[in-house]
Amino acid sequence: MRRSPARLVIALSVAAALAVFVVYTAVAGAGTPQIQPNDLARHHGHVLLVGKVVSAGGDAHSSGGLRFVLRNVTGHPAARARVVYHGSVPDLFKTGREVVVTGAMSNGTFVADTDSLTTKCPSKYQPAPPKSTT
Amino acid sequence: MAGLGRAALLLSLGLVAYALVAGSYAAWRRRRRLALSAQNALLASFVSTLVAAAVLWSALARRDFSFVYVSEHINRSLPLGYALSAFWGGQEGSLLLWLMILSGYAALAVWLNRRTRDLIAWVVPVLAGVAFFFAFMLCFVSSPFKTAPAPADGAGMVPSLQNPYMLAHPPLLYLGYVGLTIPFAFAMGALLSRRTDERWIVATRRWTLAAWTFLGVGQLLGAHWAYVEIGWGGYYAWDPVENAAFMPWLAATAFLHSVMIQEKRGMLKLWNMILVALAFCLSIFGTFLTRSGVINSIHSFSQSPLGGWFLGFIVLVTAFSVTLIYVRLPLLRARTKLESLVSREAAFLYNNLLLVAFCLTILWGVVYPLLTEALRGETRSVSKPYYNFFLHSFGLPLLLLMGIGPLVAWRRASLRSLGRMFVLPLAAAVVTGVALIALGFDSSIPGLLAYTFSAFVAASIALEFWRGTRATGSLVRLVARNRRRYGGYLVHAAVLLFAIGVAGSSAYQTVRERGLQRGQSMTVAGYTLTYEQLAARQEANALATRATIDVSRGGSHVTTLYPGKNDYPVAPGGPTTSNEVSIYHDPRNLGDVFLIADQIDKGGTLYLKALVKPLVNLIWAAGFLFVFGSLVAMWPDAVEQRRLAERYAAGAVAA
Repeated sequence: MRRSPARLVIALSVAAALAVFVVYTAVAGAGTPQIQPNDLARHHGHVLLVGKVVSAGGDAHSSGGLRFVLRNVTGHPAARARVVYHGSVPDLFKTGREVVVTGAMSNGTFVADTDSLTTKCPSKYQPAPPKSTT
Repeated sequence: MAGLGRAALLLSLGLVAYALVAGSYAAWRRRRRLALSAQNALLASFVSTLVAAAVLWSALARRDFSFVYVSEHINRSLPLGYALSAFWGGQEGSLLLWLMILSGYAALAVWLNRRTRDLIAWVVPVLAGVAFFFAFMLCFVSSPFKTAPAPADGAGMVPSLQNPYMLAHPPLLYLGYVGLTIPFAFAMGALLSRRTDERWIVATRRWTLAAWTFLGVGQLLGAHWAYVEIGWGGYYAWDPVENAAFMPWLAATAFLHSVMIQEKRGMLKLWNMILVALAFCLSIFGTFLTRSGVINSIHSFSQSPLGGWFLGFIVLVTAFSVTLIYVRLPLLRARTKLESLVSREAAFLYNNLLLVAFCLTILWGVVYPLLTEALRGETRSVSKPYYNFFLHSFGLPLLLLMGIGPLVAWRRASLRSLGRMFVLPLAAAVVTGVALIALGFDSSIPGLLAYTFSAFVAASIALEFWRGTRATGSLVRLVARNRRRYGGYLVHAAVLLFAIGVAGSSAYQTVRERGLQRGQSMTVAGYTLTYEQLAARQEANALATRATIDVSRGGSHVTTLYPGKNDYPVAPGGPTTSNEVSIYHDPRNLGDVFLIADQIDKGGTLYLKALVKPLVNLIWAAGFLFVFGSLVAMWPDAVEQRRLAERYAAGAVAA
């Protein structure tokens, strides 16, 4: 009895998908490191920086750019990263918000890619507001 | 009132626990009366869950801030519609929505299939098992009925949620997510009862189609909400939470296609079981993602204790499904074999493999940060280029297959018949490709391929309708005689419109940004935008600031747009400002002129971001066609009903 070619099709398809995947990872690399301010010194090159805004000033549309300081979201409470950014600023950007920005370190400052700033969108499931402030 | 809500949930938990235990025993020992009692318990659990839901909705409507859930999600000045929508705006409420929809679906599915006793006997405990998990979570882990001394006012609702789309987008998504439980339960019921013929597929085809449609429309509404509300000019960002809804939709799409092969040719039985389990597990995985906080998403999710519970549930469901499928492998052998690599069933198989490969590469991208953290101690993430690469790699061949599949014969196609069927679609594709290159639209290769393939698919769909109409003498009669097939073609046409809209609005969009003083202009893609004035007015919840922008083209006034910002003094986390975009829908290119007031300086300088997105409105138009096509395919069909009755009769005889 003649064997069904379905297995051959599936095997070849899986192999093709894996080949595409391998080519992609070989050509485009394997993702961007996602770090917090305390890890910044250990990474040279393009990274995705996650942090909470401690302070902000300047104008994202001026040559000086928007300048802000980020702290860790978890752990290392003293760690800080100075960021300079140009481009669109999300609505929810303000002190205390958690933001994500891509870029690289240059002369002690994290130079963010234009228009790469995103804030966490508190669309739902927000943590309960603090009962009291100290 | 909170006590009534808690009592109703506890009753639901008790009822589904009874349906699980008594239903399993009854199905195992073939006790008909006990099985009927388990079915009734499942029906009753819907009523008790409705009572719990009514209590929460009532508390939201009355602004009863003694409910912690109410005080954390709304305030007094919030309009009633948005206050009621807070039901699904928070974690506990959305879990209750899940249980309410699940128990409602379960009650309806059990009622409609009550005559298929042997199958439904095992479906009831599976549905009850899933419902038990959610009822348990609501009773003991994340209750919406916690109370505390009422504050004077609530925390309010996030401004971006105060949008009409939020009244429909989350419930539709949930109708889709939860709807996938029904085919899963029937599939597992079929395995448990050893009834692995096509009856479970025929019985759940509309359920799957309905869940798939809800999930698709829910995502489209979410994309439109992001487009008009978030103010960044896009509609999909490959965010993990967006992907969480896209993955089960892809798996369900593959399942909807592969069940046809099982129905027609008795093939892919095992594959269908795997797909239905995958779609259900991915729907639970999506819920896990939104609640665990394990993945860094632009959506903010609490680090709630629910993550571990959901992970445990996913592991349990996966282990249960894999074990059951493995144990019943001998019952899942195909009746026939694939005869040729050039046949309709082969085309469906290619379609399935591409859909599943695309789904799994998205899953890989979503969990990639977790895997790299676990394996390398360093979190790495993939972003838009990764997803776009696989969208092009798998999406474009899928688009082409949409045109090839319907034209290829079942079993085996000859070269001569292929040539005859493909000559017109191929000609349409070649003409389109050449015309686009001649007109200078060859800047984006994926865009060019998408349009060329789209022409091929459009021609093949048109050809199918034309041939069918010629044979039957009437388009209406043609569709009425085979609603499923022609409804499917309409859905294909919707996907085509969607693909054209996505390709046009992403590959050929123009973006300009400039600081403007009053009276100054900027040009973008042939439009001249003149900043005329700035005005502020007090609205119910916010101070609205709007710039007046005159839009002209070729010296003629086209329209006036009003981009700006809203300042909300009361919002969770303190005062919040939101971008309010202004959009002109241009009927000439079916696209939009999309204006964002990126920054408004105190000195009056407006930093205006303008996007011209050709063909973007085809994406939203596709939604209407998608729903229409799905409804046609779902509509009751006398021929199919007869076939179903014959199958049940055959099953009864075999038993």
